[in-house]
Amino acid sequence: MKNLTKSLILVLTVAVVLVGCKQPTAQIDSAKAAIDDVLKGGADKYAPEELKTVQADLSKAMDEIAAQDKKFFKKFGTAKEMLDKVKADAEALKAALPAKIEAVKNEAVKLQGELQTSINDVKELMKKAPKGKGTDKDLAALKGDLEGADAEFAGIQKALDAQDYIGALNTVKSIQAKVAGVKDQIQAALDKTKKK
Amino acid sequence: MSAPSRSRFGLLAAFACVCFACRPAPVPPEVQEAESLQPALERAGASYLIPAEFERFRGGLINLHGLVARESAKYGWWRDYRNVAEEGRRMVALGRTVLDGALSLKEGRAGRLREGAARVKERMARLVGMTRYFNEDDAVRKALAQAEIKLDGMDLLSRSEKFEEAAALLADASSFVAGAEREIVHLLERYRDVGEQRKWTRWAEETVADAKARGTTAIIVSKLERTLTIFKKGQAVAVFDIGLGKYGLSDKLYQGDEATPEGKYRIVRKYPDTPFYKALLINYPNSDDLKAFAEARRRGLVPGQSDAGGAIEIHGGGKNKLTQGCVGLENRDMDEVYRIAEVGTPVTIVGTLSVEGTILAEIGKFLMP
Repeated sequence: MKNLTKSLILVLTVAVVLVGCKQPTAQIDSAKAAIDDVLKGGADKYAPEELKTVQADLSKAMDEIAAQDKKFFKKFGTAKEMLDKVKADAEALKAALPAKIEAVKNEAVKLQGELQTSINDVKELMKKAPKGKGTDKDLAALKGDLEGADAEFAGIQKALDAQDYIGALNTVKSIQAKVAGVKDQIQAALDKTKKK
Repeated sequence: MSAPSRSRFGLLAAFACVCFACRPAPVPPEVQEAESLQPALERAGASYLIPAEFERFRGGLINLHGLVARESAKYGWWRDYRNVAEEGRRMVALGRTVLDGALSLKEGRAGRLREGAARVKERMARLVGMTRYFNEDDAVRKALAQAEIKLDGMDLLSRSEKFEEAAALLADASSFVAGAEREIVHLLERYRDVGEQRKWTRWAEETVADAKARGTTAIIVSKLERTLTIFKKGQAVAVFDIGLGKYGLSDKLYQGDEATPEGKYRIVRKYPDTPFYKALLINYPNSDDLKAFAEARRRGLVPGQSDAGGAIEIHGGGKNKLTQGCVGLENRDMDEVYRIAEVGTPVTIVGTLSVEGTILAEIGKFLMP
């Protein structure tokens, strides 16, 4: 009986060790597939930092596997936990992506509205600028600049319609910078006339 | 064998099996090295920079997994990882090649974008400098503003390593700048015409020579150079900067076109006090102007019931104003011109008297292949 017990314990030990000897290939594939999924969902655009974190965690898990592989008694338990976490984090990121995309979209739409207001304000400022005070040429040039910014404004809606929300946001920021510059120059031209 | 001996033997045999089955699995280190290259490739952007090569590497890695799994499933004596090691080395080599390729491509693309943007900005700066020569720069400034916005967007994309999209924006910016260059060439096409240049030079020379012969004063206005020059006895004695109409570079054709006329005129009235400070009225339209107007009306180029116009003056009020076609000067300069000029003083207005060192020389660069 004692011998049977000892043999059973040995068999179990062998089984545990054999199981622990194998690389967690299935978990590796699973974790990588989860990251691929997240990439397809646009994580590189809408959650780049979170994506990098998950990818870095995968690298760490692979390093752990490499380290264990060199040992006589391998223990892939930690590596499996790490891979499971990578998979869970990737899945959580995938679940969070729609909200992040929506947030970017809302930001782009909000800024689009603010930019339209800015452009209209600058147009009004230009209309009110006193003519014939030595600023005509400057103002005419700035009118051309504003027309350029206005022409590019349509690109924002085009990007939104194509669901390129990051593109829309970038376009808004570029135009904002130009309109702000035009406004400053108009103001400077107007200030010049006041000094005279 | 006694029972205790059998137990000890059993224990030893089991231990030997454990040791054998779990002998340091000679899964070659090349396999892990190959595995670690995939995240490195992703960080380097290989998946979108060189997708075909990246997928080839990934496919190879999956095959390598398969080889490892097959060997690992065998009993100890039958495992042979030599093929696995060889495949692992091949995958490491492939992975490093793909990684080098991705990094090189990334740096190359970023570098090309930077250089391209620098060239476009250089062209833009040159064009902005040129716009000081003329007032008709709405279309040019609009195009340049659009180019600037595109370049800004390109910069944002480039920093996010979206090189293809950035390159598209750079191409758009370049296209807008090219449009602005074409606009300027079109605007100044007449000024590049050698026949027109000779005609203007002849007018100016005749005017100065005639005034010299009479011992009187002459005024030459050169529109492209934006100057008014006073000649006394054939010598230039003063040069002043001037302003023109909104479409001052065009030759005036009809009332309201905001162009400044070209031709030989004379001062017919002196006004000491006008809304534009002091003013000298010239006899536009002359007979040539009326002939040109009649021809333009015949060809349908004159809108509505417009006539040839009139009331073209040299006046004060500033050189940065946009006149209705008059020649504008700063008040202090107008004081001098008003003092020197008399009724009857010839005033010849030309397009340009110089090609070298002007915008016309710059335009040549746009037209270079």
